[in-house]
Amino acid sequence: MRILVSTFMDGDEEKVLLAMRALPYDQLALIGAEDSEKSDSMKMITKLEGLSGHDVDFRPIPEGGFMEMVDSISEHLSTLCHDASTGRRNQILLNISGGHKIMGDAALFAAFRLGIESYHCDRVVTRLPVLSGATAKDRFTESQMALLKTLAERDLLLSEVLEAMKPNSKASAERTIRELRRLRLLGSRVEEGKVIVFLSPEGHEAARAIRFAK
Amino acid sequence: MYAYSIPARPMAIVFGTLGFRPKSLIPTLKSTPGVEKLVFYSGADRSGPEAVQAVAEARKEVIDYCVRMGIAVDAVDLPDPFDFKGIEKRIRADIRKHRKEGRTIAVFNIAGGTRPTSSAALLACILEGIPTVYIHDLTYEEIPLPLLRIEYSQVLSPEERQILKVLRKSGGEGVTEVELAELIHKHKATVNHHVKNLVRKGAVRLEVHPADHRKRVVKVEESTELLLGDDE
Repeated sequence: MRILVSTFMDGDEEKVLLAMRALPYDQLALIGAEDSEKSDSMKMITKLEGLSGHDVDFRPIPEGGFMEMVDSISEHLSTLCHDASTGRRNQILLNISGGHKIMGDAALFAAFRLGIESYHCDRVVTRLPVLSGATAKDRFTESQMALLKTLAERDLLLSEVLEAMKPNSKASAERTIRELRRLRLLGSRVEEGKVIVFLSPEGHEAARAIRFAK
Repeated sequence: MYAYSIPARPMAIVFGTLGFRPKSLIPTLKSTPGVEKLVFYSGADRSGPEAVQAVAEARKEVIDYCVRMGIAVDAVDLPDPFDFKGIEKRIRADIRKHRKEGRTIAVFNIAGGTRPTSSAALLACILEGIPTVYIHDLTYEEIPLPLLRIEYSQVLSPEERQILKVLRKSGGEGVTEVELAELIHKHKATVNHHVKNLVRKGAVRLEVHPADHRKRVVKVEESTELLLGDDE
């Protein structure tokens, strides 16, 4: 099933209608601030969708910090990707032009995180350069992803990292650490003569992206 | 009497978007050490005189602040602050120009401006790997965004990039796989393999040849133009 997801707030009906006209879809899902659900724009869009026999799925996104919104949208998009009733994968088309500014930006961030086909629909429809196969999950090897996941939970002593990465050899584990350090995803510091390995903010983002992509 | 020497820091350039509120941009000038220059983008809906005036006032305040602080300023007036694609292209061209001159772009503040301006700036930052910040609406606190840069070398193989380059040079008409094979001096089967990968990644699409319905032409997706930018 093709699901058209659009960021939304009251007054955004033109942007959503443009996306509805331009992009093929089976189901419409809107994401926005809680008060958007009862807006006049929402009523109008719901009425139009009703004419095709479909409901509009509305998901309120709490307007907190930017990254919290990114996580919330990512979680919702990940859920929509899977059709629980058939076990199949849904095709998601995301329009980021509606909603508050921070909502649109958070949706764009989430789209890159998950590799979701995305558009900006405001007067014209612009497809955004989110390539399939360009997400964090696609870019890292299994051992890199395992290390990111482990370090996302807490900082570790180097000896603990090497232990956690077994059955990989010490040389292989150290190579993985070097590669992630080169990408500026992890760093190390010395405390009481012991080396502690930790994720940078970008490393934590990579770990979150991998988690949501799965 | 003591003489203190402050360690030299590399001079930095700050990029930003601006709407009605200088407070959404100026905190970044305060939090970034050694700012040499500010490049900011603003524009108002020309149909609204109040918006035009509010944006003009915000621009003036930011420029005045920079003049007082001895920071060079480049205030870019966007002809259409709702033209997402045009804004993204302009911003990326400016980023690349500064980089070519060997300048360091310390940070891009994407908090201000219209929704398309802010989103276009975020997209440019993701594609160019620029450190990005948002300013909290109420506290004016800077929030760094942990962006993971899209590296073409990891996303597209050298052959795929070569094919895209040829397709872009060919204009919007598209070329057949046989023509592509001749242009890049590769076997047709090899080209077919790479084209399939590019279709799967969403970088190109196949269309029926306008003059011969038995043939298909390969065309670059509009989004790939945005991905690669003007210089690629």
